[in-house]
Amino acid sequence: MKHESVPIYWRNIPQYYRLVAKRCKKCGAVHFPPVVRCRCGSKELEDLELPKEGKLVEFTVLHQVGTDFLKQKPLVVGLVELSNGVRVVGQIVDAQVEKLAPGAKVEVVFRRVVADGKHGLVMYGYKFRPVGL
Amino acid sequence: MKVGIVSWGAYIPKYRIRTEEVARIWGDDPLRIVDVYLVDEKSVEGIDEDAVTIAVEAARRAIRRAGIDPKKIGAVYAGTESKPYAVKPISSILVDALGLSNNVFAVDMEFACKAGSEGLVAAIGLVKAGQVEYGMTVGTDTSQGEPGEHLEYSASSGGVALIVGRDGVAAELEAVYSYVSDTPDFWRREGSPYPMHGEGFTGEPAYFRHIIGAAKGLMEKYGYKPSDFAYVVFHQPNGRFPVRAASMLNIPMEKIKPGIVVTHIGNTYNASALMGFAKVLDVAKPGDKILLVPFGSGAGSNAFVFTVTDVVQERQKTGVPTVEDMLRDKIYVDYAQYLKMRKMIKLFD
Amino acid sequence: MKDVYVVGGALHPAGRHYDKNIDDLAAAVLDKAIADAQADIEALFVASSTAELGNKQQLLGVYVLESLGLDKIPVFRIENGDGSGGAAVVAAYHALRAGEYNCVAVVGVDKPNDVLSNQQQDIYATTLDTHFERYFGFTPLSYAALMAKMYLKKYEYKYEDLARWAVLMHAHGAGNPYAYFRRPVKLEDAVNSEVVSEPLRLYDVGPLADGAAAAVLCNNKKKDGPRILSVTTSTNAVGFNARNEYDVLYSLEEAARSALKKAGITPRDIAAAEVHDSFSIFGALALEGLGIVKRGGALAALREGDLPVNLSGGFKARGNILGATGVYQVVELAWQLMGREFKRVEGNYGVVHSMGGVDRVSTVIVVGL
Ligand SMILES: [Zn+2]
Repeated sequence: MKHESVPIYWRNIPQYYRLVAKRCKKCGAVHFPPVVRCRCGSKELEDLELPKEGKLVEFTVLHQVGTDFLKQKPLVVGLVELSNGVRVVGQIVDAQVEKLAPGAKVEVVFRRVVADGKHGLVMYGYKFRPVGL
Repeated sequence: MKVGIVSWGAYIPKYRIRTEEVARIWGDDPLRIVDVYLVDEKSVEGIDEDAVTIAVEAARRAIRRAGIDPKKIGAVYAGTESKPYAVKPISSILVDALGLSNNVFAVDMEFACKAGSEGLVAAIGLVKAGQVEYGMTVGTDTSQGEPGEHLEYSASSGGVALIVGRDGVAAELEAVYSYVSDTPDFWRREGSPYPMHGEGFTGEPAYFRHIIGAAKGLMEKYGYKPSDFAYVVFHQPNGRFPVRAASMLNIPMEKIKPGIVVTHIGNTYNASALMGFAKVLDVAKPGDKILLVPFGSGAGSNAFVFTVTDVVQERQKTGVPTVEDMLRDKIYVDYAQYLKMRKMIKLFD
Repeated sequence: MKDVYVVGGALHPAGRHYDKNIDDLAAAVLDKAIADAQADIEALFVASSTAELGNKQQLLGVYVLESLGLDKIPVFRIENGDGSGGAAVVAAYHALRAGEYNCVAVVGVDKPNDVLSNQQQDIYATTLDTHFERYFGFTPLSYAALMAKMYLKKYEYKYEDLARWAVLMHAHGAGNPYAYFRRPVKLEDAVNSEVVSEPLRLYDVGPLADGAAAAVLCNNKKKDGPRILSVTTSTNAVGFNARNEYDVLYSLEEAARSALKKAGITPRDIAAAEVHDSFSIFGALALEGLGIVKRGGALAALREGDLPVNLSGGFKARGNILGATGVYQVVELAWQLMGREFKRVEGNYGVVHSMGGVDRVSTVIVVGL
């Protein structure tokens, strides 16, 4: 058990579970991860849940990973553009890599991200999965 | 006032292992095993999936199909026997993952494979009482079977979520009837990794007595006869049991067959009968009556009768993946990959 | 404002220094640099990326001084990830420019080999956004791979074109007595090395190495040494997901523009550059960011032959000494201009590019004779 921080996980649950971003009420810019001040200078920001589908911009298959992912390698990770144009990075799961290409349709899924040993917290979060591949 | 199933959502992990691959490892004759259980292959969860993630996927699909504001769901129940935590609810994770309000009744239920359907009873009760607008139950499992033991040929992974309400009912509940007794056919002790079972004892005194007891009790009490039902769905620990239960009740094969999924994905425990039910809802027509009888070891059954309404056609056209879609969408794994994905290889903590 | 000179320096060979504690390794090289400068130092700026996370040492500067018996000297710990070295030089430079001190030392040290390779990945990944990038398994390598993939596609290069970077670095590293690898490699070795995050292969990754480097900077020129003509640090405060382009180092663009302008030189005046090529693609992008080649032209230039970039061997051959690297680069560049330990470069100006994270912060330091 590595004693992962419970408060850090807990406070990020809206983002990890539902991709809750911030939208600037003044200029409409959407920020994910959330920010406290928009680039336009406004601090008037509201929560916005990002759409749950999008397309793959680019991906790579990562073979050198940290301790949390040693038993899951290789990890397919990539950049995804959601249907409202907001881009998010994340793992691509259930993918047959040879069929994967930029432009592939993906959906947001809910997965385990890190388990804190056998006795600690199981931490969940969003990942992406190809649709119709 | 109609109360019933507003929406359903199913999730089957993408990975499959063939019965012959498991039999190869344990020195069984695959043809005999397939013949005994009528399970060709079973679903396997991905390395980053568990009963929680499966429940979330099924529940999200149910909400998507319903097209309702998740904040209107006032109760959420998770029925499982493969909780990642002994203590810490799946249902509260569902609350935040689905974006429900915090004013929600939530609990995880345990009654072997019956818990998810018991959640349905509880949700219906709250809706009928006017306590909540919508209620949700999820049957979810990554079920365990000791490697090399016969349970391993069927224990599999999947989840089904049902949303109950008064508005937009796609399958109205007509009747429900329960049948429960202390029958120790199958159990898993606290801290034990795999369940134990009584082999043949799981049949007559357990599965058949309770399924038939609930189905017959319901038909007698409410005056149904087998010919009333367009579809009949039983808990399906293997391919033979539901077929035999049907014949014991004089229900023709064609009514039971559409709801049988165990042959392709194995026994998803709390999602087993509900998966068959979801598959039937994917194709049912207005006016169809469905008899649904889940079973949980230990032991008990609930028998439900639903009448499909016009709304079902709308729900069938939402683009949410059907059970049939998921039965086709698969990646085969070998036994070593299966052990890895199911986290059954001993690693450093 | 006073001028600032590099009057002393010392490098420890990059490698696996299992026999030395982090403070002692830094102290040994600092001692040499002070002796080289023949000057007393009035402050110590300590650059390290992972002293706290990997070596469990805060207040590192104090323990370095304790090891040398130097008392009452102020210490400043500078952490800008793997760009710490450049940032520490900038902090020292500003203090000297203002006349607060006359002579200060900058020591950079990191000992990644004190932890296991996968823990190195964990720690390196903390240069990314820990909540939304590291958490999900991203590492600097994965981002470098994505950028390389997009770059190769956009400019229609083959992987082989990128692999030439490693070949050039090894050729240069052969002339650096402090390099981790001091042997040339063939293009086929690079092209056939194992894929670590496609399209990147093992030879695209600067190996993490233990090491320490120290420089003594003074604002009164008592001894020969090149002058630091200008420094600029800039940041790219845009997440990887929100970048406009993936084939540019934004943090470098601004740092390079400003530093070159302040120094009054153009990219054509650069006789030698030490750039942050923790991954080969960053080396190519740094050449473009400094204006040495045009955008998209780095790999074409590489095909044409030798380039006066990373005569140290860069991260690939000298090694990636994380937060110490920027200090290595400044000393290496000073020595290249002076013809000390390295072959003297043809020209009077050189630049250092020190970067933290994946294009999150870049420092450009212009050094001239
Ligand atoms: Zn704004």
